This record gives sequence, structure tokens and C-alpha cells, in this order.
Amino acid sequence: MTTGSTAHLFISNSDMIKLFLKTSLYLILIVLSLELLVRVFHLYPEDSPRFIDNMGVEKRIPNHNGFSVTGNRRQNFSEYHINNQGFNSYREFTPSYSKKELAIIGDSYIQGFHQNYYNSIGKKIENRTKDQEVYEYGYAGWDLADQLHLLQAYADDFDKIDHIVIYMKYPMDLGRATYEPNTDRIKQLNSIPFKIRDNIKLLHYASQIGFLDPVKNLFIEKKDAKKASNNDQETPLDSLYIANFDQLLKAYPINKLKTSLLLDKRKTSVKFLDYCRESGIDVIDFGREFELSKKPTTLIYDMHWNNNGRSLVAKSIIEHLGL
Amino acid sequence: MLFNSVEYLIFLPLVFILYWIVAKFNNLKIQNGLILTASYIFYGLWDWRFLFLILASTIVDYFVGLAIHKKQTQGEKGKLFLWLSILFNISLLGFFKYYNFFVDAFVDMILLFGYPIQSTWTLNIILPVGISFYTFQTMSYSLDIYFKRIRPTHNFLDFATFVAFFPQLVAGPIERASNLLGQITNKRSFKYEQAVEGLKLILWGLFKKMVIADGIAPMVDDIFANFDTMPASTLVLGVSLFSFQVYGDFSGYSDIAIGTAKLFGIELMSNFKFPNFSRNVAEYWQRWHISLSTWFRHYLYIPLGGSRVSRSKAIRNISIIFLVSGFWHGANWTFIFWGGFHALAYIPVFLMGRNTIYKNSVVAENTLFPTFKEIGQLFATFVIVTFSRIFFRSESLTDSFVFIKRLFTEFRWEPYHHPMGYRMIDYFVLLVVFVIYEFRMRRDERNPFKFKSPIVRFIAYTLVIFSILLFYDDGVDRSFIYFQF
Repeated sequence: MTTGSTAHLFISNSDMIKLFLKTSLYLILIVLSLELLVRVFHLYPEDSPRFIDNMGVEKRIPNHNGFSVTGNRRQNFSEYHINNQGFNSYREFTPSYSKKELAIIGDSYIQGFHQNYYNSIGKKIENRTKDQEVYEYGYAGWDLADQLHLLQAYADDFDKIDHIVIYMKYPMDLGRATYEPNTDRIKQLNSIPFKIRDNIKLLHYASQIGFLDPVKNLFIEKKDAKKASNNDQETPLDSLYIANFDQLLKAYPINKLKTSLLLDKRKTSVKFLDYCRESGIDVIDFGREFELSKKPTTLIYDMHWNNNGRSLVAKSIIEHLGL
Repeated sequence: MLFNSVEYLIFLPLVFILYWIVAKFNNLKIQNGLILTASYIFYGLWDWRFLFLILASTIVDYFVGLAIHKKQTQGEKGKLFLWLSILFNISLLGFFKYYNFFVDAFVDMILLFGYPIQSTWTLNIILPVGISFYTFQTMSYSLDIYFKRIRPTHNFLDFATFVAFFPQLVAGPIERASNLLGQITNKRSFKYEQAVEGLKLILWGLFKKMVIADGIAPMVDDIFANFDTMPASTLVLGVSLFSFQVYGDFSGYSDIAIGTAKLFGIELMSNFKFPNFSRNVAEYWQRWHISLSTWFRHYLYIPLGGSRVSRSKAIRNISIIFLVSGFWHGANWTFIFWGGFHALAYIPVFLMGRNTIYKNSVVAENTLFPTFKEIGQLFATFVIVTFSRIFFRSESLTDSFVFIKRLFTEFRWEPYHHPMGYRMIDYFVLLVVFVIYEFRMRRDERNPFKFKSPIVRFIAYTLVIFSILLFYDDGVDRSFIYFQF
């Protein structure tokens, strides 16, 4: 190799190193700037921290406020307030025999992170009734086992409450017949990768809008396909869900005189509805109101109820219970 | 493999590093061999079976090129071999792209004469990605040798690399051997400035694709899927947005292709020069899909006589290139009508002698803002071009005419809501900013971040990447529109 070509190679190398260093520096600065922008515009979602209390109930860590963000560009931006009891609500739960109280128990639909906490179903019911206090025991991911376990765990409180409404999605909420606290989920949410995600707002935002899905799919696509094919072999049977329901009620008996199931009859099996009727379980159907509504009842980008949907659910409860 | 995929994000740096490592060995064969292998992997990851088509087209034109040249040295023209190349490449296109179209057209024609037939001749053919691009590129090689514009290469590896060069393999720019092959046969050395220019173009291309085109796509899809229930105001919005979508999509692709090539020390031709700032339809065609329009100009229009013939023949030539150009886009009458519409729009400009007056200038050449006259010209051209896109985007001619009919009969205004519930104002602001930004850079399509201050440049990079995040929608089909051609 001649001296000239050696020099040429050296120049090429130094140019390459310069490109690499400058690109890396720019990338780091850009990532930092993006993190700043995401924080300034509050594009990231805030997931209120969770825990399992000494009664075995999975819920939010009490007494804090935050903002829930859904969709890109803050498509849905709402404030939440976790009360003393660890639930998103505008009020503290202080049941007593002297007041009129209604408890609504359910999953994310009742938890209501898709609305400002002061515009929830409970608040709508209170606004339209007199002296009624509504306690919303909502927690994303709860099924019937969680809900019935809650009733038993806080039996003293629920004893004082005049009426209990349990929101149920058939058949998803009847997937199991026994209650086990989901310690794995809490462990996972407290794990280092999740903590990193929660602290790096850019990462949390990118993850929430699906920007990182292509990267995730590179690693989990095959696994998911395998899972899906296994699921295909399972046939959902009403009898299985009804058996689960039956078993749960035996383990966690409910006071049928003051407990109602809130559901959408359009999406619920007739067999299950017949079973409820035969067992003397009261059912509140909000499906009819939804069907008659000319305006959309759910958010556009996900299936949670919008303001109109929540008003109709509140209306259904008020009318059915004669509040 | 898509330019806007994670796979490409891994693929490109890997090939880039390997390419410049092997460049150290001062062996062009290894460097080109690497590019060729990478190109075949790039294409093969989509469908490896169609690699054989590329290989067949490469082999045929490689030998045709040599044969034509040999005949020419013997004092003959080598026309027979040129026809072999043309027939072979057109046959590939004819079978994979147009076979079903011709069968259907034949069946319809027979039906016109009152003989209904049940056709069982149509086939379930997959259209190989990029076939219209690489067949035209290989044909141009044989044509250039025939017209003595270039000499053939004797190195098959170089030629195969020229045909399959991955940045421009599937959607252009359709390169000429005189530009690309010459660079492939010569040693490339790493140039810092060129690589930086490449990275900037890739970023700008990604912005145009992921923010402008993909951001608008759900609205365009929604409006064109439900056009038969929508008022004229929404239809105008839909087709105008489609104009921006197709521009963002295709010019974005071209920018990424040109930028990627720069990383490998190769300069590709420009494919777009701000067509939205054209003052008449003729200028538009000097700025839109330049590699295809110049291809037709060099290999069809000029051999037919171009404009240096009688007026009637010139009009015939113009009509031919626009109709063929339309047909090149796809086996559908909608594209032929689209081409025909452009011929009708171009011919008056040609007859007035205004088809080349803006050839070497840009709007507001020496001023900051365009004059009112220029604004009027830009607007009129945009309206004409956008109107033609109704044919381009519609599924069938019937749909196109219903769309047009509704434009003139359902003339009422109704607010349009984004199908995913996003605020419409975000997109209007985005497009206004985009148009203003492009107007600012209208003199140099290869330098999207032309700011003296490094701080301003840095802010621009950040905002571009931030907008990619802001307008990201995971439900959007991320493939490029021109892949279907």
C-alpha cells in the first residue's frame, strides 16, 4: 500500500469516526429534547401506582392526583384523584346506616380514568338524585372474582351501603371460579424495566402510542401466534361460565336484595340472563339506552364509555333502582 | 423490507458499516458483491421467488447490451437484440401486471358485440414489487447502448448491482446507466459531507412519509371508501388530502432512496422538485416523478419525433406518452383516464408555447413571496392536478365519475370528523407548516435542513422527529403507495 492510499484510508476512517460521534451526539441531544417536550406537553400517561392491601384487594395507593392520557396528542386527557380508600373518586367513602349510599363496583369502565374524576358515572347519579352518595370501586382489570372478593373483604363497609351495583362483562369477567390476588402483575409493575419505562416519559409515551410495537413484535410475534393457535382450540361455553358464576357466588355469597348486576343485555348470553332471573339476581340493562341513543356512546379510539355513554349508564341505574 | 420499518433500521447500518469496511480492501468486486447481496436480501425478504425475475431481466439485458454493441462494431444497428430486450421486459410486465386487465378488456369487448362469455382465463397473479421500475431501468440500458449513448459493461457483477441497487430497486428513481452504472464501476470513497446529506434526506423522507402521508391516510381512505354518501365539501377535502398524501408518500420514498444511496457514496437523480409549486401543468411534469417522465421523454416521445414534427403529430406524441404513462401506473382504466386527463391539460399549454417557459426557474425566483399572479397559477395547477387524482385514487371508472358527479351536485358543506377521533385542526396546521417549509426550500430539493445556525438546524431535526411521534398512528398501513405499481 502506498503512502498516499494509507493517508486516504486514514482520512476515510477519521471522517467515519466523525460521522459516528456527531450522529451519536445529535441522537443523545435529540432524545433529551424529546423527553423535555413530552414532559412539557404532558403527552405521557400516568399510571397510578398499585398494591395489594392486607385484605388481599388489589387497588391504587391512596391519596394522590394525576392525569390519565389516552391516544396520541393527548386525544383524551383527564384528571384522576385516588381517594383515601385507593379508588378514583371525587369523594371519600364513609358509609353509615344514616345515609343513602350506592356502591358501583367494576373494572376500568367504573374506575373511569377516561374522564375527569369529577364527571364520573357516580357524580352524574349524585347530580340527578337527592342526598345520594355514590362510591365507585373501580379498578382496571378486575373480573367478577375480584369484585366479589372486594365485597367480602370490606363486608363491614358494604353492609352499611344501601345498594350495590356490580358491572359485569359477559363472558370475560367469568373466566375463573376462584379468587387469587394477582401478585405477578404487581411484581411486574414494580420491576426495574417497568420503573424505567415509567420514569422515562418519552419511552412511556412511545410505548403507549404503539411506536415501539414493531420492535416488540420482532421478538414476540412467534410466541403470540403460538398462543393464539392454542386459544383457538378452546370453545367458550355458557355452561362453563355459569358454573364459574355459581361457584363464585357460593364462595362469596351476595345479598340479592340489595345487589344488582349492571350489564349490556345485547352482549350477554340469554342462557346466563335466564340463570340470573331463575336465581333471583337483579339485572340492570344499559344496552337498551345505548341502542336508542343517536349519539356515539363510546370513545372513538377505544371502547370505554364517552360522556354520553356514562350519562346513559347513570340514567339506567337511576331509573332501575328508582333513586 | 420497508424503508420505514424496524428491519430496515437494523439492515441499513449493518450494510453501511460492512460496506465501508470492505472498501478498505480496495476491491471493487467485494464492495459491489456486498451491495448486490444486500439488495437481493432486501428484495428477497419480501418474496424471494421474484428474485428470479430480477435475475432474468439482468441476464437478458446484460447479454443484449453486449450483443447490440458487437453488432454496432460490425456496422449493424443491433435492432433485433434491442427488440429482444423490449419484448422480454414488456412480456414480464405484460404477464405479471397486465394479463388480467387484457383478459377482462377482451371479455368486455366480446360482450359489447352481444356475445357474453364466462371467462375462466384470469389468473390469481401476485404483482412483483417494483417490476415496473427495474424493467424500465434494464430496458433503458439496452436502449442507451442502441442509441450509442453509453458503452456496455463487460462486468456482470457491476451490471447486476446497477439493476438491483436496493435504495431504488422497488420504487425508483428509475436510473439511467449513464448515471448509476458509471458510479458502480468506479471506486467509491467515504465522504463525510455526502453521508451527512444522506442522513438529512432520509430524515426528511421519513417525515414526509410517516407524518404527511401516513398522517393523512386514514382520512383519505375513509373519504374514498364512503364517497357515495359524502357532500362535495368532504370530497374536495378528501382528494386534496390525497394530493398531499401521494406526494408525501412517493417523494418521501425517493428522498430516503437518494439519501441511502448517498451513504454508499452514490448519487441518484432527483425524482421530485416541489411539484406543488408548479405554475402550469407542463412545469408540474418537470417536477413530478422526474425519472419516469424523462424516461418516457427520452425513450418514447423523442423517438416518436417529440415536438419537432407537425402540430398534429406533436399532439399525438404528447397524448401517447401521457396515456402510456397512465397505463404504466396500473392495469386499470382509471390510470389511463388519469393519463388522458393530463394530456388534455398539457396540450393547451403546449399549443400556447408555454410548456418550457418555467423549465429553469422556480416560483418567486428572486423574491421572498410569490406574486398574486403566481399564487393564482400555483392554485390553478394544484386544482387541475388534484382533480386528476380522483381517477388515480378511485377503484373504478364508475367510482371516479360518481365522485365527480357528487362534487357538482352535492354541493353543501358539512364538518368532517377524523375517523379515529383526532382533531382536524392538527392536520390543517401541519399541512400549512409543511407547505411554507417546502416553499422556503424550493430551490434545492436535496437540502431540506438548510440553516446556517447549527442550533436552528438542531431544533429542526428535533421538531421533525417530534412530529413523527406526534402523528404516529399504529393502525395505519405503512407500505408505500407506489409499491403497487
